[in-house]
Amino acid sequence: MSVPILEMKNIDKSFSGVKVLNDVQLTVYPGEVHALMGENGAGKSTLMNILMGVHSADKGEILLNGTKIVNSSPKEAMENSISMIHQELNPVLDMDVSENIFLGREIKKGTSGIFSHVNRKQMRKETQELFDSIGIDISPSSLMRNLSVAQSQLVEIIKAISISARIVIMDEPTSAITDKEVEILFEQIRRLKEKGVAVIYISHKMEEIFSIADSITVLRDGQYIATDKASSLDRDKLIKLMVGRELTEIFPKSEAAIGDVVMRVEKYSYEPKVKNVSFELRKGEILGIAGLVGAGRSELVEALFGVHKSAKGSLSINGKEVQINHTGDAISNKIALITEDRKQTGLNLNASIEDNITIVSLDQLFPHGIINNQKESAVVDESIIKFGVKAASKKNRVNSLSGGNQQKVVIAKWLLTEPEIIIMDEPTRGIDVGAKRDIYLLIGDLVKSGKSVLMISSEIQEIMGVADRILVMAEGRITGSLERKDFSQEKIMYYASQFNRGNENEETE
Amino acid sequence: MKKLNNVMNGQLMRELGIVIVFAVILAILMILSPNAFARPANLMNIFKQASINGILAMGMMFVIISGGIDLSVGSIVALTGVVAASFAHPGEYPLIVPVILAVSIGLLIGWFNGLGIAYGKIPPFIVTLGMMTIIRGAALIVSGGAPVFGVTDEFEAIAGAFLFDKIPLLVVYFITITILSAYILTKTVFGRRVYAIGGNEISAAFSGIKVEKVRIMVYMISGMLAGFAGLLLASRTVSGIPTAGQSYELDAIAAVIIGGVSMSGGSGKWYGTVIGALLIAVIGNGLDILNVSSHYQLVIKGAIIIVAVLLDVKGKEKTT
Amino acid sequence: MRKVVLIVLVIMLVMSTAVFAGGKKESDVDKYALMMSHMTNSFTITLSNAVKAAAEELGVELVVFDGGQDVSKQISQVESAINQGYAGILIEPASVDGIKPAVTAANKAGVPLVTINQRITNQELAKAFVGVEHVEGGEIEMKYAVKAIGGKGKIAFLLGPLGSDAQIGRTKGYYNVLKDYPEIEVVYEQSANWRTDEALKLAENWLQTGVELSAIVANNDGMAMGALKAVEDAKKLDQIKIFGLDATADALAAVAEGRLSATVSQSTEAQGLAAMEALVKLVNGEEVPAEIMVGHTLITKENVADFQ
Repeated sequence: MSVPILEMKNIDKSFSGVKVLNDVQLTVYPGEVHALMGENGAGKSTLMNILMGVHSADKGEILLNGTKIVNSSPKEAMENSISMIHQELNPVLDMDVSENIFLGREIKKGTSGIFSHVNRKQMRKETQELFDSIGIDISPSSLMRNLSVAQSQLVEIIKAISISARIVIMDEPTSAITDKEVEILFEQIRRLKEKGVAVIYISHKMEEIFSIADSITVLRDGQYIATDKASSLDRDKLIKLMVGRELTEIFPKSEAAIGDVVMRVEKYSYEPKVKNVSFELRKGEILGIAGLVGAGRSELVEALFGVHKSAKGSLSINGKEVQINHTGDAISNKIALITEDRKQTGLNLNASIEDNITIVSLDQLFPHGIINNQKESAVVDESIIKFGVKAASKKNRVNSLSGGNQQKVVIAKWLLTEPEIIIMDEPTRGIDVGAKRDIYLLIGDLVKSGKSVLMISSEIQEIMGVADRILVMAEGRITGSLERKDFSQEKIMYYASQFNRGNENEETE
Repeated sequence: MKKLNNVMNGQLMRELGIVIVFAVILAILMILSPNAFARPANLMNIFKQASINGILAMGMMFVIISGGIDLSVGSIVALTGVVAASFAHPGEYPLIVPVILAVSIGLLIGWFNGLGIAYGKIPPFIVTLGMMTIIRGAALIVSGGAPVFGVTDEFEAIAGAFLFDKIPLLVVYFITITILSAYILTKTVFGRRVYAIGGNEISAAFSGIKVEKVRIMVYMISGMLAGFAGLLLASRTVSGIPTAGQSYELDAIAAVIIGGVSMSGGSGKWYGTVIGALLIAVIGNGLDILNVSSHYQLVIKGAIIIVAVLLDVKGKEKTT
Repeated sequence: MRKVVLIVLVIMLVMSTAVFAGGKKESDVDKYALMMSHMTNSFTITLSNAVKAAAEELGVELVVFDGGQDVSKQISQVESAINQGYAGILIEPASVDGIKPAVTAANKAGVPLVTINQRITNQELAKAFVGVEHVEGGEIEMKYAVKAIGGKGKIAFLLGPLGSDAQIGRTKGYYNVLKDYPEIEVVYEQSANWRTDEALKLAENWLQTGVELSAIVANNDGMAMGALKAVEDAKKLDQIKIFGLDATADALAAVAEGRLSATVSQSTEAQGLAAMEALVKLVNGEEVPAEIMVGHTLITKENVADFQ
């Protein structure tokens, strides 16, 4: 190939004295999709944030078309034709789709200056044209608030594409979108390639990497490991580079003895998202809940956990019916809910790691309401070691941690309550292979010690690999139940698309 | 070792930024007025003058950490002051009656604030803004619009007396309430929950915290302390004045914010608030002693609030 | 849907005001309005009570309006009073400038309007002014203070909100007297905005400076009481004398006990009576002087019993 469009050389970066990037390189050529791989905490996000001007590098230089550039803000990066689609979306929820697409570069009517009017009509028209050309069915005038995660992700992608960027960074762009939408995205990526745009692609999904990437650069623990053609690597080689060891098995299924029913759910409803759901969970069992985005799986487990006060139905634990009117009732019945969204429901990002880990267990640890700092500290230290949370100090704020480490804090927080029934909603969303494996092993340990796990997952491979039994949901109902011996992708998909009313245009679901 | 140093410096700067600002202002005033400002008697005087605002600020701190705001405290000061003074005429009721009334009225108003916010789902700014007006009206109605005079010597002694002939009781109350607040905030499960709901209400609810209950408690604490402050102000001015306490809520908020508590909730330390309250009193006292016109004082006070918070923010930026 | 509800509500509102406005007067007695700037201190309460008493004596009906220290509210109150057919309006203005539109409106409608206690900037537009000379009040207070401290020493002033009529007049009165006493030095002169708690804090801080004060002279009694508290707390009442103005109940009690050296009555009752009388005369077509001044009275321990 020709001259590299981007070269990042000898990049170093430390945060509060902890080195997160050490002499890292990245070379990207025009018209290629360059996958940036590595486990969580490997330094991918930091490297991209340096490129985008969010952070500045302690050492090293960035060359764009051979010319040295300094991006001191995302705006400057954008002026240098670099744009980024973030993993965690930050759309302006109360603006409509077209306004978000044109945010910061609104089409103006008449004279320029801050008092000129925004030409909404024109913006909507151009957005519609953009969508039409790509084949996306979202109205430019709908509010971002009313879109699903997948839809907002698509909008975010279109936004990045519509800025005539020469380098587009995509950080986990498919973590929340359906296969059909992934196809649309890949089509766009191929179109960008044709125009000579370079795409830096971050994802944990191996299948995607090998279907779209041309080259792959691997980072591990802040170190540059290797760059190679995608065609000369395979899945196992790549994992070995990322993790630094061979993964004998992606889904280590450990066999635990399955016992009596510990939780019986009868006729649970939370209209209109969950309708008349009944099932049983046994001791030592891993029960998976599969289904499409919007099938009501999260709402079901939230309702069981006492989050939604208007939910109805009966719930028995160990044969005794219990009343769960509040999350506190669920916790005292030894249920834990590890939610999908760490930012919203999982953590208090402002608080320290320590405070986050103990918040649910305070009543258990300190029944008189008075906190004993030494005891708390000891408990937290133990959890941090047990779950392998990587942090300079437990007093550090949680938002200084990487996604995978944050997820470990969430798990530590909930397992500290010593629950018998552990509900996990997409526990491996947005985390890397190594961390995923850690979670599968943990789930195995939990059921081996006689606990029960209810796990929601959208990754069919994962749920088939981990679960003993799978419930499939569609439109708020349970449409199928599969024993491990009957697991197949086709059957799951079949049940997942059992729509009763047959109206498929419910886009907001 | 070097790493450790870096961490320590960052941490220190973040925690102590406001302490440094405070020390600098103190030093400047001591240089400008060595014979008056720096005298021990005056330092005690500053402490005394910081007390009522400091007590209000302690309550406000709970509210702001929980992610709310309480604009009604100034009006509560007026109402409870008027009520307390009305029940403190010689030969009518025992001293305990005005004391209990003031504190419980404050508590009750706080409870209403909390109900409206927690269950009515009305933004705190609006509930307490409405309450501010209602309670101001109530203070005027109860007093008939005119100050209430003629209180007993014992009532006057509530705020006017001294401990060991040296320490004003006001200061004793302030210190006691500070210790209690600090204890509740840092050493109890309840305190931890106040931080949790202020940091992320949704995750707090998912973590089994009864967010509504904690919220109501927080406004009750603020209301109760405002009621107590009203009692103290009435005792200090030997009268219940229905127009008293105007803009006291702003001074309390200023103390909390100067002290590094984030307006968005979830973070802040009790000692910051103490320093904030002291800083406001120091500025007022120092400028009075230097005979600066009260109109310029407003400008200087406002500027110092902004600069103090600015330095605090900059200090935090360095570390994150 | 929402729009419809809104329109219906607006129509109902308009109709209801029309009904109330159209209501004829039930009695033949003339209705008078008293517009108070606010009703939140002893002075305004005493004044409005005095006017009410005078109206009763004269056999006319009086309605009191509270302007809530908001001049725009006071203007709308005057406008409604004109529309509702009030015979005459007494106004204690919330602002000496801002009230002009209300006065003009009253003139246009031919409703006599008398200002009370405060002159307005365009006083010629009103039919009369009833009040006191604030300068005179300040002079009376200061003259007594000078005598009480023996014509020399360091003194401090506690002022009302800077720029208010009473603050300017009374402070001017102080300096008129002080011209003749070069041995008296004004060391502090600060505003405590009529407020007791502010005056208390200010006086406490002055006492910290070590300056030997002989007197604190306050623009009103509320601030004098704050200063008194500070001086008493510092056990310096034998060195520092306190003077107030307004003759509020607690100040009178303090004068009787010998703690407050003096206060000055601005004869609030007399102001109310004179104003009401003047307005009734104007409505009945009689002439009154454009300025009706009521005198101040010094109150010390000797004569305080007459005022309590």
